[in-house]
Amino acid sequence: MKVDILDIGSGNISSIKNWLQKANISTRVVKNAQHIESELLILPGVGSAGSYMDRLIDGNYDVAIREHLNKGGRLLGICLGFQIMTKYSEEDGGVNCLGLIDGHVERIGSGKSHNGWEPLQFRTDDMNEQLFHNQYKLTKKRVLNGRVFYNHEYGVINKEDKSFSTPVSTDFPQYDGLFVKDKIIGIQFHPEKSQITGLDLISMIL
Amino acid sequence: MRIGSTVLLSDQNCIQSYEWKLKRPLGRIQGVFDSLEEYHCDEVAIIRPVRDNDSVEDFRKDIQVVKELSSMTPISFGGGVRTLEHLKLLQDLPIERLIFSSAFLEKDEKLILAAKNLFGHQAIQCLLPIITKDGETWVFHSSKNKYIPFDSVDIDFINEFANEVILFDVIHEGMTNRFDWSLLEGMAFDSKKTVISGGVGRKDIQIAKANGIASVLVDNKILHQEYSISGYKHATKLS
Repeated sequence: MKVDILDIGSGNISSIKNWLQKANISTRVVKNAQHIESELLILPGVGSAGSYMDRLIDGNYDVAIREHLNKGGRLLGICLGFQIMTKYSEEDGGVNCLGLIDGHVERIGSGKSHNGWEPLQFRTDDMNEQLFHNQYKLTKKRVLNGRVFYNHEYGVINKEDKSFSTPVSTDFPQYDGLFVKDKIIGIQFHPEKSQITGLDLISMIL
Repeated sequence: MRIGSTVLLSDQNCIQSYEWKLKRPLGRIQGVFDSLEEYHCDEVAIIRPVRDNDSVEDFRKDIQVVKELSSMTPISFGGGVRTLEHLKLLQDLPIERLIFSSAFLEKDEKLILAAKNLFGHQAIQCLLPIITKDGETWVFHSSKNKYIPFDSVDIDFINEFANEVILFDVIHEGMTNRFDWSLLEGMAFDSKKTVISGGVGRKDIQIAKANGIASVLVDNKILHQEYSISGYKHATKLS
């Protein structure tokens, strides 16, 4: 399996790499948009939406991401990398995003932030309608029951039909914590910092 | 409420400090993290306890050991992040959050905004090492190597730019069940955004939970009491 991690100059690339390596998945870090050539492209997301989108557009990464999807590649966005897949974000005074997902990003509440661990449970069978799920059979495990780490102030409102999603938490049920639609997966939490659950997750969804 | 640990990094190795005076070596940072990860520690704050004589070269050396760290636990990092040059060195480290202290006390908006653009507002933490003397509260200003009156600190600035505030009880660091709760009296910080460290023990964790504190950071002496993290989590459930 070829996995590219997109490095646009900001983000916790080494953590993402460490996460995948611990799950015995080899990766390649890609800095040039033209060099994306993989079955799975990972968009790490750290920073604010405005500067992140500026970097994506300046480096022609936005075009390369669409081409990757058009060629049948899979796309996995983490935290801000998930948020910028939607149509727009309220952050930084309003930012147009990639529009790969029908939805938008809003502040989870004035002065609020969500920093901590939340439970995550799902069955991989629930994702069966999506093209993304469990293609490589890295594990026989079908039920994930663990805890994941969140650190965010903005959340994704998903308006997609027929997507698979789980909410962030009981306190933030309107926002997606995990989203899967066709060949796109979005993760609001940090799987790379979710200890054993993070490892289980990547093995179950790839 | 999160239950994490404070790890002090000095000259590329971990130390335990007592009352900011006595220092006890704890070894390589990877070994410390491996132990903490086994206990399912919720988060780790790596703090360089530096003063006014810190250099970029020393900073660079410490950064290198953090860069080589293999961990799946959320990490905050700070101590000596004072210029844009320092900030550039922090890119692509296995850390999620940045801890600033002097930058907040000096109201260095340019540096903090640059950090926000790189890491996001949710990643910015303010560290205030505090003590009470003669009935007054003081904050240690690391880059000036001296205490300043808490009254002189711009709380509005901190509340605007920091996602969370770490209140560090300097006097009781290294002790157990000795966190001085009077330090929080009259402080205009939302408890949901307040993190405490310094002398935190099982009783303090119960008090913190009851007061809606965001997180407690236990001194890394817990490495020598291997049952502690699970015991502390149990204490939270009981409170």
